[in-house]
Amino acid sequence: MDKNAFIKMVFEKAKAAGFSDCELIVSSGEEFEVNIFKGEILQYTSASSDGIGFRGLYNGRMGSSSTMVYDEEAADQLVTNALEAAVLIENEDVQFIYGGDEKYPELESYYPALADVPAADKIALAKELEKTALSLDERADRTEGSEVIYSMGSSRIVNTKGLDVSSQVNMTAAFIAPVLTENGKSSTDFVVESATDFEALKAKKDEMAQRAVKTAADFLHAKSIPSGEYKVLFDNDTFSTILATFSGVFSAENAQKGLSLLKGREGETIAAECLTITDDPLRPGSMASRPFDAEGVACYAKNVVENGKFVTLLHNLKTANKQGVKTTANAGRAGLSGSVRVAPTNFYVQPGTRTRDELAADVGEGLLITQLQGMHAGANGVTGDFSLAAKGYVIKDGKIADPAEQFTVAGNFYQLLKDIVEVGCDLKFGMPGGSCFGSPTVWVKGLSIAGQG
Amino acid sequence: MIPKKLIESALGRAMRTGGDFAELYAEDTRSMNLSMMDGKVETAAGTRSRGAGIRVYNGLLSVYVYGNDISEAGLMRLAEQAADAVGSLRGKDADVTLVGSVCANIHPVKYLPTDVPGTRRVDLVKRAYAAAKDYSPEIAQVIVNLIGSEKDVLIANSEGLMLPDKRVRTRISMTSVAAGNGETQTGSESPGALKGFEFYDEIDVEKLARDASKRAITMLHAENCPAGVMPVVMDGGFGGVIFHEACGHSLEATSVALGNSEFCGKLGQQIASEKVTAYDDGTIPGEWGSTNVDDEGTPTTKLLLIENGILRNYMIDRLNGRRMQMAPTGSARRQDYSFAPTSRMRNTYIAAGTDDEDEMISTMGDGLYCAKMGGGSVNPVTGEFNFAVSEGYLIRDGKIAKPVRGAALIGRGGETIMRIDRVGPNMTMAQGMCGSLSGSVPTNVGQPRIRISSMTVGGR
Repeated sequence: MDKNAFIKMVFEKAKAAGFSDCELIVSSGEEFEVNIFKGEILQYTSASSDGIGFRGLYNGRMGSSSTMVYDEEAADQLVTNALEAAVLIENEDVQFIYGGDEKYPELESYYPALADVPAADKIALAKELEKTALSLDERADRTEGSEVIYSMGSSRIVNTKGLDVSSQVNMTAAFIAPVLTENGKSSTDFVVESATDFEALKAKKDEMAQRAVKTAADFLHAKSIPSGEYKVLFDNDTFSTILATFSGVFSAENAQKGLSLLKGREGETIAAECLTITDDPLRPGSMASRPFDAEGVACYAKNVVENGKFVTLLHNLKTANKQGVKTTANAGRAGLSGSVRVAPTNFYVQPGTRTRDELAADVGEGLLITQLQGMHAGANGVTGDFSLAAKGYVIKDGKIADPAEQFTVAGNFYQLLKDIVEVGCDLKFGMPGGSCFGSPTVWVKGLSIAGQG
Repeated sequence: MIPKKLIESALGRAMRTGGDFAELYAEDTRSMNLSMMDGKVETAAGTRSRGAGIRVYNGLLSVYVYGNDISEAGLMRLAEQAADAVGSLRGKDADVTLVGSVCANIHPVKYLPTDVPGTRRVDLVKRAYAAAKDYSPEIAQVIVNLIGSEKDVLIANSEGLMLPDKRVRTRISMTSVAAGNGETQTGSESPGALKGFEFYDEIDVEKLARDASKRAITMLHAENCPAGVMPVVMDGGFGGVIFHEACGHSLEATSVALGNSEFCGKLGQQIASEKVTAYDDGTIPGEWGSTNVDDEGTPTTKLLLIENGILRNYMIDRLNGRRMQMAPTGSARRQDYSFAPTSRMRNTYIAAGTDDEDEMISTMGDGLYCAKMGGGSVNPVTGEFNFAVSEGYLIRDGKIAKPVRGAALIGRGGETIMRIDRVGPNMTMAQGMCGSLSGSVPTNVGQPRIRISSMTVGGR
């Protein structure tokens, strides 16, 4: 059945079933991935998918459901499932179906030329990337993967209040993870880069391979370090990961549920003065950018932390109404049938002025951390506690020196925000997905390190 | 789900450019979830997802194409896309004849979760919530999530296999948040099974909810774990995550076939302490990580991985089996149709030993006792793993001294499993979700209480 006819049918059935207002999100996506191993295709994946999510207000409660089938039976099931869900819900928060804004920001997020890159070119790039990486060092004899991916997503939100908005994003990315082996010890590192232009991605190939091989080579000879309190620099990638892991503390939804210690602390100083954190949904070239949020509210950039002062939590219509403020247009939807939650967009630490080497010179003796592992287990998004396996380099006499591994770094995110000494100028964003996180190098006064000795 | 004739045509079409093997995996999944916070049902949703993927091999080349249009036009399009990715010379469609069969169901289900009335589900979640919340005034928040899913799969391949299977899974997770002095700590329990709603009659949900709260409160009043190198005792159940991370992932053909595991080429050699015998068993009735057949249609097995320290078997899927020239072990798994399958763990555990549980602690001197573990991760190439301790106690002079929070354990797999110097007699398992190349799949981890003579413990 034609999608528009299906939408109309669902709206009619929902009205007849007693829903006062309802909304559909129509999403579709394309994925392509090729992985090369020793010059041959190891895995080739291609897909297209679509689905429709429904949410509707029934006696003030929001029920939701989803389907990937578009016939009359599916329309009935969509409405019935949402109705069954709505009558079970007891939460009394006021829920919204939004009629839309007058104006939405113009956003460049879809790059038609990317969609037309032939599979053969992507395969060729993945092969070249592997070949380059393996040619750089004779100890590199294989990889854990040499991949090129392409991803496209589109979504349309249409509701009975007259909202009908659409957006489309796409991007391409490459991944290389060389494995180096020497005297029976293996070491690996991965580098991933994304682009909105295929030629630009190709141009990054050599630098990606060099960076991955150099890092893997460094860690062939890494050693553990003595336990103790260290001055720590987190490199840009690593602090992005920390920010991503703890970004939930800035969600108004979590705060209202007692799952963030930032509840009611707007206006307070919660971080060092050098720290400003921004959420910018309009950043060009990011898959996390969007003109409107999951409720159809027009998006805009805002500081969440400004010079150490806590400005605002991230809100959707429900949490904003509950707190008596205006939404920050950060509604996000977890899956098609997921309820509307709060999600950051491009969420990042604003850069300072000095380079990583300049910061290291002032650190004198300390540690540069370049990798963290086990974030999903060793970091608690509610309490802020973290205790994580790490890798990096010893900072000696103000210089980045010997590689270090087999140690852990432990602390608490809330405390860490206060203990930031300075942020570097090397702002870098991670891989864009539903949200995208970015940071420059961040200097933290002191953290507890556990090593061998 | 899909007519036999159509599958035969699609598989034949998929092989027309030189593919030597083609497989179709289709699924239709109905799931429901219910979540509670602040004592009120917060969200409820019913989801239906349906899709299929076609995989074609040509030697070691593997192409996977998937989508959610499983109409004739949709499937033939998938088949053609897969064929075009395998080669450019279009020959004739291959002849594929399917022989429909059924697999014996060793995981009977009484009540499909999607059939259980909403009010019964709400009642269960409320009981769990109340038990956790009422445990102590220090419990500030309790989150309960109830998940039930019913996954119908159909696996067919050009060797003639056509096999439907049904996987019904049920899980409840309870997280308690204890708050005081401007801090919070959490505790959680998440039992699950390859069963229907009858699972909740077999377990004591309220007791588990109270356990979660008790842990959160213990940790709220705990000091930070000191950092250093020390002996570590780990209890059964989720303690098995150590074997899962330190060893299990590195025995999956996913890593082994490409030479990306520290245990490559070590069959028949000692890789663990003689105390260690370990299995990966996909056949245990009703267990979270079990299935009748794997996601390539191969019957699951009870696979001996390590026998008294000697490496006996790897976990092998069909494609990596080709690469290794070894038979598949019923270990091919995937999150859903949007992933090509690869070898994954099922229910993985260290088998019971004979060492005394109390002696392990009384003779350890100063160290760490982990009553409950959190999750972890590993890099199979280097063997470096890490995992979190969610309930730990400092041991001084062979006696439990005090609870400690924020401990993390790190090491290299090969070294660590050689240092297991005690294995107790009571093996228990716990449920988790394991993430890897083919997505997130339900797995059990398990072990009896064990001791590791020396590990790096992270803390502050």
